[in-house]
Amino acid sequence: MREMFKHTPGRIFLTILFLSLIGILWVPRYFFEPRILFGWLTPPFLAGIIFVLVWLVAYLIYFFKYWPFRD
Amino acid sequence: MSFVILGLFGIAVLWMAVYGYRISAKTAEDYMLAGRGIGIVVMFFFTLFGISSAWTFYGYPGFLYRHGPAFVYFVWGCVAGFISLYMFLGPRLWAVAKLNHFLSPVEILAQRYESNTLRVLLALVLLSSIIPYVGLESLGVGLGFKAFAGFHPAVGIIYTAILLICITLLGGMRMTAWINILLGIIYTTTFLGSLLWIINVVTPQGLSQAAHILAVKRPELLYAPGPRVVGEPLFTYPVIVGVFITGFMAFSWPHIVMGTLTVRGKLIFKWLPLLGIAAGGIGFYTIPFLWGSLVAPAISHMDGTLVPLASGKAADNIVQVVITKYLPAWFSAFALMGVIAAALSTAAIQLMTSAILVSRDLIHGFFKPDATDKQLITWTKLAVIGLIILSLGIAFWNPIALALYLTHVAVPGFAQWAPCLAGGILWKRGTKQGAIAGILVGTSILIVGFLFKFPNAIILSFLINTLIYIIVSLFTFKASDQVERIFFDEVDEFLREKA
Repeated sequence: MREMFKHTPGRIFLTILFLSLIGILWVPRYFFEPRILFGWLTPPFLAGIIFVLVWLVAYLIYFFKYWPFRD
Repeated sequence: MSFVILGLFGIAVLWMAVYGYRISAKTAEDYMLAGRGIGIVVMFFFTLFGISSAWTFYGYPGFLYRHGPAFVYFVWGCVAGFISLYMFLGPRLWAVAKLNHFLSPVEILAQRYESNTLRVLLALVLLSSIIPYVGLESLGVGLGFKAFAGFHPAVGIIYTAILLICITLLGGMRMTAWINILLGIIYTTTFLGSLLWIINVVTPQGLSQAAHILAVKRPELLYAPGPRVVGEPLFTYPVIVGVFITGFMAFSWPHIVMGTLTVRGKLIFKWLPLLGIAAGGIGFYTIPFLWGSLVAPAISHMDGTLVPLASGKAADNIVQVVITKYLPAWFSAFALMGVIAAALSTAAIQLMTSAILVSRDLIHGFFKPDATDKQLITWTKLAVIGLIILSLGIAFWNPIALALYLTHVAVPGFAQWAPCLAGGILWKRGTKQGAIAGILVGTSILIVGFLFKFPNAIILSFLINTLIYIIVSLFTFKASDQVERIFFDEVDEFLREKA
């Protein structure tokens, strides 16, 4: 993490992860109404899947294009 | 037939343990850290199934079954926590341990903060949190045996304990990791296979049918705050946020942190998050969620069900009960094998980690600093036997619901070293006074909260621990130049080199 703070792609990566954390902690306020997507998908599960996908995409771009260590 | 399957499974595990003993180098580094030679495939199974315990099969679906889908936030927190460990802390922990021949993460922090007091304190806090968790795994198998064949839980507990002792005594950390490949495959196959088969048999129209049954019969199980508990809503907004934060503390689970010291090279840390997010977060953890939040409760609430509604601790083995009632007996044996695999894969790592804390950090670090490799290995093995007896004693003495063992005992205890772990590795300004003060105050709040059942004691203890660590560190003298060189400059240089 120390190395990530030292360059711009790392800071962008950390910012995206941080914003996604804020997002997943913000959305539970909408979980209190009966709402089902596609007949079975409950909102807490959907929120987590979106959260994990954001992490996956950010990780793929940063770790495979800007990883701060030498392979 | 069922018992033949379980017998063959036990023999396969024992054979692997014996094989591990034969190929081991008989050094402390080899026994405790698999010679720091674990590759990406083994590491993936090692961590994913080190995390995914009997709790994933029993406690987690059982809690969803009773309280609705909001508890999934604990798992989302866990996924983020584990990935963070491997992305942010893992490379530095691995590098400093490899460069300085450290054998345990507590030893790393003791050297980082130049404090033997901290070493003892950390070892004791972690041991007191992890030992009940080991007992939980055996208890999970005991419940499985009970649901499967009506045996007393002691039968499953003894079966698990024997296998655990053999894996850890003979195979050490290497076989504990390698066996997780076999256990992980069995676990995933039975868990996913049983889910698909049950859906096909009981709700042939799929998950939508299960959700429809719940929407008609018990709609509050489909959204927060879930069914009321003693007249009060359980998953309120602050509770959901708190559950996520508690899950995020997973980056400090000692048996998973220990895994970072065993890897072969830094490239593991580049690839492991991919497997963790895709295969673990999105793939594997969807299975218990669907089981606990939709399929099992729908079966219990549908007309003409074979599985009446379970409440309290009885809900912990709801998955096993559904499988036993609806699927052929031979498959129930496979499902039980999956539970045993789940329990063994986690408990073996926990047991190894606990034993290393006892031998390396308490005995070697405090009483016998000039111990030989042979003595270290002997102490670790003796610690394994002592710890498993202790953990089973605690599990029998206080058999609370499985989900609560993890969230109310183990995770809050693990979280107490999180500030000094992350701070020690990433923050040069962290001091031993800050670390000791934070842990003492945080742990005290946690114990008082646990005894007097204060709400929010888990989050509160962690936040105050972190705050005290930072404030006291800023007002005390920073670590020596030598510490800064070993833990920051040399690590930076080492990680920048070509792999």
